[in-house]
Amino acid sequence: MTKSDRRTAFLFFAPAASFMILFFVYPMFLLVRDSLFDSKTGTQFVGGENYIRALSSDRFYKSLYNTVVFVVGAVSIELILGLVLALLLSTGFRGSHAARTMFLSPLMIAPLVGGLIWKFMLNDQFGILNTILFKIGWIDSPQSILWLSDERYALLSCMIADVWLTTPFMMLVLLAGIQGIPESLYEAAHIDGANKAQRFWRITLPCLRPVIVVALLIRIIDAARSFDIIWVLTQGGPNFSSSVLSTMIYNSMARFNQVGYASAMAILFMVVLMAICGVFMMRLWNPNKKAI
Amino acid sequence: MNASIRQRTKAGSILVQLTTALFVIAFLFPYIYLIMTSLKPSMEVISTTPTLLPSAFTLDSFRTMFDVLPVGKYIGNSFITAISSTVVSVFLGSLAAYGLSRFSSRIGNLFLLLTLAVRMVPLISVAVPMYGIINRLGLYDTKTALILVYTSINIPFVIWMMIGFFDGLPKELDESARVDGCGKFGAFMRIILPISLPGLATTAIFSYMLSWNDFLMALMMSSTTAKTLPVGLSEFLGAYNLDLGPMTAAAVLFSLPVMLFSVMIQRYIVSGMTMGAVKE
Repeated sequence: MTKSDRRTAFLFFAPAASFMILFFVYPMFLLVRDSLFDSKTGTQFVGGENYIRALSSDRFYKSLYNTVVFVVGAVSIELILGLVLALLLSTGFRGSHAARTMFLSPLMIAPLVGGLIWKFMLNDQFGILNTILFKIGWIDSPQSILWLSDERYALLSCMIADVWLTTPFMMLVLLAGIQGIPESLYEAAHIDGANKAQRFWRITLPCLRPVIVVALLIRIIDAARSFDIIWVLTQGGPNFSSSVLSTMIYNSMARFNQVGYASAMAILFMVVLMAICGVFMMRLWNPNKKAI
Repeated sequence: MNASIRQRTKAGSILVQLTTALFVIAFLFPYIYLIMTSLKPSMEVISTTPTLLPSAFTLDSFRTMFDVLPVGKYIGNSFITAISSTVVSVFLGSLAAYGLSRFSSRIGNLFLLLTLAVRMVPLISVAVPMYGIINRLGLYDTKTALILVYTSINIPFVIWMMIGFFDGLPKELDESARVDGCGKFGAFMRIILPISLPGLATTAIFSYMLSWNDFLMALMMSSTTAKTLPVGLSEFLGAYNLDLGPMTAAAVLFSLPVMLFSVMIQRYIVSGMTMGAVKE
């Protein structure tokens, strides 16, 4: 590496870097600073007080718990559903291409619009989902499940909307992964007399593992960060039953103007998320893993 | 993959087709319901006995939409901020990605690590300090503010996508350009960028969608003049507003063109979605 090479590299990424320093690194610095100052005026240094307040607040733990439930629930349903859809489409039947195109449709919809659609479908008075469930006899009256205003169902409703919006991504990535598995493996297994289930458990799933891990990582990060859908559907209510960390941080920031407190929670949120990702990535970069 | 082992049995294939069809219907239903609702007469939109199809198709909701919501302005804002931030971030991002891919340096690797770390940062946590900075720059509620913010959110993503793409291009390409008298920057502009067009297109589509679909940043950084359509749409929910027809109409107007377009350019979307996750 010559000196001029280093200078060239620097010139190439300097403009992008300055953007990121101004709007990512500097804000992070401000975030840390804010978290150490009092929430009311933002001028008095209070040290770790905001952190202690967050860590001793039931609502913070409630939101953390809800975030975990939301992420684990939504992402595992997406993974299973996405895998099923990918397997169905990978058989390459006539029309599978058209089906894939149709599955793609929710992919490009803004999370906000997705949230609006479900807010409409799950409405207590005029939601069509209850009407459908009533007509097929699963519930006794069209009003018997208050999806968005019953504490038991609010978070589940947000998960349903998220699953609808992001399963296509899962499906697409897994489908690409499945199509990348060499056909010869299946032929060899067939000759050896492996049945369908064995082929799935012994070939498809192990070969797909790296793809699944990456897809999960991407989805876990995005689901943990999701704000739009939950904000539109429930705003974290009723009674904090669907409050996740991002809506809680937004609320204490925008509604109650508690910048210090919100910043402390934001940092705790980030630390947890990065720790989880770190664990995941370490497994991903495990040098002992066999390359496919 | 014709006549592969994966698709041998005929009866199984019919079952597969049926199941897929059921899933397709389930996945399309919500969006079709939205479109149908936007075409219903206003009384039917909030009927307690909802039906999928309107009793009569009407464009009333679309007409009233223009009275209750400055849709044109909001869509204009959404479009201008999304397209400008896409152009800037794709250019600066691929410039950086090229530099990082071709000329390695310690500070460059550090920067690359930063772009990866940034993906894990919840937007909500940087949104507030970003808001503070924008405010101090006197840019609150301007399109410039949103363009700046979207650009910086998109840049790490562009770098991530393009670095893989550039790594796949043979180095001899740059060298021959240099032999023919191009400078380093010239080689990038005249040789590398043009042959990276497919990768650039995919990346641009995704950065556009990131900005176009954004709600949180626009919610925090605009109030009247720079408001984008997602924020405008969300306001229907706050008020005790039961005339939801126009809301569905605006939602359709906002999403349908993008959706049709995305079906047309499916190839790029599929490659982009899988570029990050399925490598080699």
